[in-house]
Amino acid sequence: MADQIYNAIFIGSIYALFALGFTLVFSVLDILNLAHPALFTLGAFTALFAMQQGVPAALAVVVAFVVCGIAGVALDRVAFAPLRARGAPPLSAMISSIGVALIITRLIQFAYGPDFQSYPAGSLPAAVYSLAGVELDTLRSVIIACAIGLMLALTYLVRRTRLGRELRALAENPRAARLLGIDVDRAIAATFFLSAGLGGVAGVLYGFATNSPFSQMGLAFELKAFAVMIVGGMGSIPGAVLGAYLLAFGEIASLAVLPSELRDAFAYGLLFIVLLVRPAGVLGRRPPDRV
Amino acid sequence: MNKSILGVLGALALTIAACAGATTNGGASGSPAATTAAKPDIKVGAVLSLTGVGNVYGPTQRNGLQLAVDAINAAGGANGAKLQLIVEDDQSTTDGGITAFKKLTAQDRVTVIFGPTLSNTAVAADPVAQSAQTPVIAISNTGDGIVGKCDYGPCDYIFRVSLGESAAIPQTVKTVKAKLNIKSVVLMYAQDDKFSSDGFAIFKKNLTSAGITIKKEIAFSKNDVDLSGPVTQALAEDPDAIVDSSLAGPAIKVLQEVNRRKPGLPVIGGNGFNTPAIAKSAGAAAEGAISGAAWYLGNPSAENKAFVSAYKAKFNADPDQFAAQAYSAVYVYLDAVKRTPNPTSVLHDKLRDQLALTTGVSTPLGEVSFNASHDVSQQVYVVQIKNGQFTPIN
Repeated sequence: MADQIYNAIFIGSIYALFALGFTLVFSVLDILNLAHPALFTLGAFTALFAMQQGVPAALAVVVAFVVCGIAGVALDRVAFAPLRARGAPPLSAMISSIGVALIITRLIQFAYGPDFQSYPAGSLPAAVYSLAGVELDTLRSVIIACAIGLMLALTYLVRRTRLGRELRALAENPRAARLLGIDVDRAIAATFFLSAGLGGVAGVLYGFATNSPFSQMGLAFELKAFAVMIVGGMGSIPGAVLGAYLLAFGEIASLAVLPSELRDAFAYGLLFIVLLVRPAGVLGRRPPDRV
Repeated sequence: MNKSILGVLGALALTIAACAGATTNGGASGSPAATTAAKPDIKVGAVLSLTGVGNVYGPTQRNGLQLAVDAINAAGGANGAKLQLIVEDDQSTTDGGITAFKKLTAQDRVTVIFGPTLSNTAVAADPVAQSAQTPVIAISNTGDGIVGKCDYGPCDYIFRVSLGESAAIPQTVKTVKAKLNIKSVVLMYAQDDKFSSDGFAIFKKNLTSAGITIKKEIAFSKNDVDLSGPVTQALAEDPDAIVDSSLAGPAIKVLQEVNRRKPGLPVIGGNGFNTPAIAKSAGAAAEGAISGAAWYLGNPSAENKAFVSAYKAKFNADPDQFAAQAYSAVYVYLDAVKRTPNPTSVLHDKLRDQLALTTGVSTPLGEVSFNASHDVSQQVYVVQIKNGQFTPIN
């Protein structure tokens, strides 16, 4: 039982970290950035490349955050900014982001091939320790701590800092934010940097946990992240975290009560019930976008 | 104005580049054509999943085919005629497969098609080749209904060199029972993947008939990002071994979880285990993993050694089973086409008849023959990962 709770916390943390980046862009700019899974993969491969050059794992996480953050800003400049300037509908931005996702994925495939890769031997902690009768491994415990730390840091940034206030103003009304003297372009760039950086770090941590990064590893998270965002409340940052842990605990709980064949049906059924009770999501305040 | 001038200049530059490219290509292919003017090239087609979900397998298959074709041509071709390989990408879709099969049979008029990569695509595209009377040699389809008795009617033009799970798994179960004295297992499988769920059914039947108790059956999804929950549930049953019917991605996760929670517990799998990625990614967790396979890297036969060293030299990587099967298929084809009078004729019935007579062709897989159903007949290797290498235990 305790084993399974630990499993759920681990996988919930990865879901949450992935969904946070997704939800940040949506909450500020009202667009679904479908290149997010590709940035997730880019993070895992940036760390792989860095570690193959002898960079230690902890530093590789930072490198991946920065590289993915910069890629996120570039993504905005190439795929979203021109459309925003022309007042294109959100659907165009989605299609544009799919294009960028394919380009990033193909470039990774070009460099590394489609096969599973692995991080240099001995570069990741492998020790196992026992806590209250449960066997825990250092790597996953560190990953959980990192994920929770990043979630708290993001919450603090959005709620308590000047940049956070600017982001919230931008989310509320871009035109009014500009009139109030907020540097909207800078705020948008910051949004993409943080979103992509978080996505990249999620990719590295998940890559570390499985030690089998491959060029399409982000795809499996896309549907889960949608579910997590919608259940938590579209655009709500605490909602995304809550939704992620709800989904993870739902998946694990179903193993205890139902045949394993019905696990996804049970987990998504639970989420469906949540939506029936609260159509805007658990912590959602505004109605979902009609994209 | 400036823009239009730029446009014209751009178009001109592109045209010149295209012409230059055409000239270069013409020059390059001109010299071999001149030397083999007496005999036209024999066209061979391949339909592979180079993009889409099957792109883990397609590229190494292409490498295997290309390596064999190049080696055969360098050694003088088939009775003096060079082989010309035409590869089409089916994008891992059935529609893509059908389109590619139509192009190869109607437009390129190939003598044979290798592929397609995925079984689902094969079921949809093979009828195109059957009605065009063009032989197909499946190089990775292991599902049912590909050769022998097919749902769409006669499929006498379809052959298969890829060992099916129905041949590999019984041998695996027999070997682990005898060697490891396993009495009970938990059977795990990816329920949303045909290859894995077919393997599950075959494992279940063979484990039961071998008198091994299946303590629990646990399904998961091939897209699951983490399998710690299902594996924890499996270990709670305290089995002698875990049997996992899945492709390499989930298999790596199962091996890692088992190793984390109960190191040393045997994990037995199907064909999905037989890729170097398993040992590479799962690392120490893969040690001891057992599977039944059509091929293994360290096979000391002369054909395999030559194949592995040529592959490494050309592609700077170890080949996998998919490359080995693709490579072997070309040699099976070569054996038949050498015996076929006028192989470039539009009628391929004679080539089909010669393929059906294939017996004991030496390949990296071992000696390959086709049975009455046009399915492969070869040795099954039950292999275990030891020091990161697949080592036979039967």
